[in-house]
Amino acid sequence: MSVTARNDGRRRLLATAAVVLACLGAVALVVGLRGQAGPPMPPGEAAEISSAEPKRSREPEPARDAGSTAVAPSPAPQQPSADFGPIMDAASPVGITITAIEVDTTALVPLTVGPDGVLPAPTDFATVGWHVRGPNPGQLGPAVLAAHVDGPDGPAAFYRLGELTAGDEVSIARDDGTVARFVIDAVNRYAKDDFPTSQVYGDTTGRAEIRLITCGGAFDRSTGHYVDNIVVFGHLIG
Amino acid sequence: MRTSRKLVTVAFGAAVLLPLGVSSAFAADGDANANLAPVALNGVQGSGTAMVRVQGTTITVTMAASGLLPDSPHAAHIHFAAEARHECPAAADDMSGDGTLNTSEGGPAYGGIVVSLTKTGDTSPDSGLAVDRFDTAPGGQISYERGSIEVAPEVAQAIVDGKSVVVIHGVDHNENGMYDGDVMSDLDPALPTEATDPALCGVLAAAPVGGVATGAGGAAPIGADAGLLVAGGALVLAAAGTGAFAARRMSTRV
Repeated sequence: MSVTARNDGRRRLLATAAVVLACLGAVALVVGLRGQAGPPMPPGEAAEISSAEPKRSREPEPARDAGSTAVAPSPAPQQPSADFGPIMDAASPVGITITAIEVDTTALVPLTVGPDGVLPAPTDFATVGWHVRGPNPGQLGPAVLAAHVDGPDGPAAFYRLGELTAGDEVSIARDDGTVARFVIDAVNRYAKDDFPTSQVYGDTTGRAEIRLITCGGAFDRSTGHYVDNIVVFGHLIG
Repeated sequence: MRTSRKLVTVAFGAAVLLPLGVSSAFAADGDANANLAPVALNGVQGSGTAMVRVQGTTITVTMAASGLLPDSPHAAHIHFAAEARHECPAAADDMSGDGTLNTSEGGPAYGGIVVSLTKTGDTSPDSGLAVDRFDTAPGGQISYERGSIEVAPEVAQAIVDGKSVVVIHGVDHNENGMYDGDVMSDLDPALPTEATDPALCGVLAAAPVGGVATGAGGAAPIGADAGLLVAGGALVLAAAGTGAFAARRMSTRV
């Protein structure tokens, strides 16, 4: 009696433990597998797309420069016959519109590189920051804007940036009343520890360009940061 | 024994020194951008950008500017001096008190010429006033691109450190469409000061380093959470094991 009762009790305990463990495991697996899809990202792995160079063509936009003297660009760097395509005067950005991903905001804030040399992200997750020591949007060289993909509670200003594809347009309103319109050439994802600094911040193409930066890839909960950056490359069309 | 310890010491020393040596050797690689703005007091309504890529002691410069006196030579340089302020001159730099800034008055701010941004030929400070080889700004605009410019190592370092300054010269103070006037240049007594006064200026700021921390994880892909998957898998395995153990005990008894 006493032996049987003890065995019955242990069996029930073991069975209950098995069910509880199975349930916990199932919940963890379900959440782990399909709890949250995460922000949209460009297709492909970081390693393989980081080799994809943005368009380096210096050809002016055919539609815009039909009337001007469109001389074929010389490959020799010693020839200062520079044809940069459309270039705008200095003016600070005051708004950004990206119709394809429903971004339309005038909440722009200046970003200043810190003593560590790193471009900080905006402190407000709803704002878009612009790199003040870089070219203004519309000027020769790459104008850089950066915004968060998400905040602690959900999507932020550039949540859908990774959905963009070549051919989409970005409009930057400027404080002189003009609008700089860019067309996207490439959307790439890079590991932050293999970030192509020169390609993003340097003048690689000899024209007015734009870079839109947000985060992507896996989220490392031990550091509290995403492991990749998504970078959108575009050039001025007017 | 003693020899091997010495070797170890040498090897360790080299290991410590090597990264320092390597980093300083590569330090002069980078990009810099100058946002060109009107020089204080000189009244030019213009702007532009100048971008410099530094690879060792070779630099590539692209520069676009507008609002300059058209069809007139505009000397353009990279300025640097270790003792300079590494900035563009301010109104307080008008030591003569004549209400404008000439190139010498800008010296304490940006230093002397270290690179002459000529279109052809020599790019050394010797060509600082080679007016026949500078861009003449057709339509008031400069579109300049030149690579393979050799500079001294300290100049390359100053550029990537954000301590050099791009200056485009040539100001039509009296707005009569040409360089003239009774005041002669502080640099060349054969030229009017209008031909050499600084028009646009910008500090070459080093490009940011690396990426941007643009996420807090609130919408992070939980599906990519390997830890949760491993934990879930382990729990399921444990459940199976416990269940099997219970079942075996049951069958043993029967």
